[in-house]
Amino acid sequence: MPETIRNQVLRGEGPFGYRIRVNAMTTRRELLKAAVAAPMIVPSHVLGQRAGAVAPSDKILFGGIGIGARGQHDLSKILKIEAAKFIAICDVRNERRETIKSMVDQAYGDRDCKMYDDQYELLARQDIDAVLIATGDRWHTPLSIIAAQHGKDVYCEKPCSMSIEESWALAAAFKRYGRLYQAGCQRRNGANFQLCKDLLDAGALGKLKTLYANVGPSVNWPPLPSRDWLAAEELPPKQVLDWDRWLGPAPWRPYHSSYVRGGWRNFYDFHGGGILEWGSHTVDMCHWAAGLDHTQPVKYEPVGGNTGEYSVNCEYANGVKLVMRDNGWNGALNTGSCSFRLEGDLGWVETGDSTTIACSDNIKPLLRPTEPASLALENHMKEFIRCIPQRKQPSASAAAAANSHVACHAAFIAFQRGKTLEWDPAKSEFTNDEIANNMRSRALREPWRI
Amino acid sequence: MQQATQPPAPQAAKPKPAPPKPPAEFQEGAIATMDVAGLVGILTNTSSTEFQKAKACMRAGELAKKEAVPALAALLADEKMAMYARYGLEPIKDSSADDALRAAMGKLKGNLQIGVINSIAKRRDAKAIPALAKLMYGTDAEVARASASALGHVGGPAAMKELQAAMVKATGMVKMAVGDACLVCAERLLEDGKRDMAMTMYASLTGPETPKPIRLAAMNGIIREETSLTRPR
Repeated sequence: MPETIRNQVLRGEGPFGYRIRVNAMTTRRELLKAAVAAPMIVPSHVLGQRAGAVAPSDKILFGGIGIGARGQHDLSKILKIEAAKFIAICDVRNERRETIKSMVDQAYGDRDCKMYDDQYELLARQDIDAVLIATGDRWHTPLSIIAAQHGKDVYCEKPCSMSIEESWALAAAFKRYGRLYQAGCQRRNGANFQLCKDLLDAGALGKLKTLYANVGPSVNWPPLPSRDWLAAEELPPKQVLDWDRWLGPAPWRPYHSSYVRGGWRNFYDFHGGGILEWGSHTVDMCHWAAGLDHTQPVKYEPVGGNTGEYSVNCEYANGVKLVMRDNGWNGALNTGSCSFRLEGDLGWVETGDSTTIACSDNIKPLLRPTEPASLALENHMKEFIRCIPQRKQPSASAAAAANSHVACHAAFIAFQRGKTLEWDPAKSEFTNDEIANNMRSRALREPWRI
Repeated sequence: MQQATQPPAPQAAKPKPAPPKPPAEFQEGAIATMDVAGLVGILTNTSSTEFQKAKACMRAGELAKKEAVPALAALLADEKMAMYARYGLEPIKDSSADDALRAAMGKLKGNLQIGVINSIAKRRDAKAIPALAKLMYGTDAEVARASASALGHVGGPAAMKELQAAMVKATGMVKMAVGDACLVCAERLLEDGKRDMAMTMYASLTGPETPKPIRLAAMNGIIREETSLTRPR
């Protein structure tokens, strides 16, 4: 933003033919927050930060919603970061609230972590800057949007959305409110993945031809999750589990304990199958590495069935290909889970969670030691927390996540339709299949909306 | 760091423990490929189960044929099936789906009414503006919030007028919802090329009486628009 306009805005003078009503309740920091749409660098001393220790008043205060096993992993990183403090947990399950409070209080040596069973109570707290959302997938978009409406920045686990419509609604809400969003696509901050991106950016691979995203083995995450229901079981008492609230925006179905124990995955009403489960990581990495965070492929060709190896062969408008493929749990080259591969006309490189980097012979002299995979999540969380006072969007922003998730949802729909689909990114619609267009959104159970 | 010279043998995928099997009566089977006539048959048959009706609604949403509207609309008052009925109705382009949702909005209460309002919002049905405006001032705060949100999504000058009036009168959580709807409405106005109206809407939200997140978002909107390379100069 030009300096003169920014200064006028900050003074409330309004260069635009009307006056912005800046008032005593609007602080300089609020205005800086409002200006997130126009990136600028704010010196740390302006925001009260000093070298070394972080004053309690300068800490980024976190709340958490729906923290299970994966969320505890995220939380453990927050607890290690001095610039942050986790102060509140919300969960519909009492045992989980207690578990998180105990974990947090033990880490800080106090009893300060507050517990809530209603997300609105937690989000109403003015002192909370950011929330960690690690619920089941069905809640990710609605809760993230509600948090943005309450002025919170969000770190949300992936997959970030249940449909194409939700993906765009998520990006629109974070743009609207000028809030920061970091999708839990932590490999963007993994050194081995970064090295592969660097090699592509430096031209070592030549002209980019094909991206490969491992969408995981169909034996674990079939591309077509079940549309069936499990047999009804007796509902537990409401104080143990509120089934209505657990379902949230997902369609009603009879209670079965398996869903609550993590068995909700691989059911269509709660899950997007392997393409969303792993594609939300690996397609996202392909977009990031190739500078495609702003777009989606224009063609999706499904190959294979619901068991055995399968792929969706995609193509971008610029001719670059993206292959979402079942490449086994560890990848055919044993590069580890969630692997991706970049192929150019001069060479190729592939890596995954083992941090092993496989590559063509001409690339080998360019390899350098990288960090353990475990550091990716910590770095990713640190990036988010670092961005908050700077009001700078983190690398896995809502807009970037929306584009990679739309690509995954479009591939998922192509697989369900069993035919090659053509996609217009500008109109966000399929151009050769009306039924596919009808599958771009899912109704939410009342009273939830996005 | 390891560098692969010869690709190592891939490890076998880790198979998960077998999940519980759905019973026969809860398997989608033929409904997944049924045509609209078959789906209407299921939806209107009094002996169809909840599962069959739920799956028929979802399939009807994929096909989005207007012939399914009456059968789907009949389920909007059913607590368990209402959401499935909306799943079927929302993608149907024919105006009969709007008519059905509007009619249901006038009859239902509580969450069921909210669900219908949310579907009207998604379809951006401008004919619903007068009814939504009335519901914004009703005694059910959740219905009022949903109605405000729907007006924002419908957008246009008529919705803008209703929302601006409500912003003055509303309080508490309803005011938050009206404010959010104003922001969405401003975006719709921008999309429709009504930039001056959108900027007026944003500017009206920057006063001290506006809840803080809305106020900041309105400022964000002004800054974003005024610094946009595509703004009229």
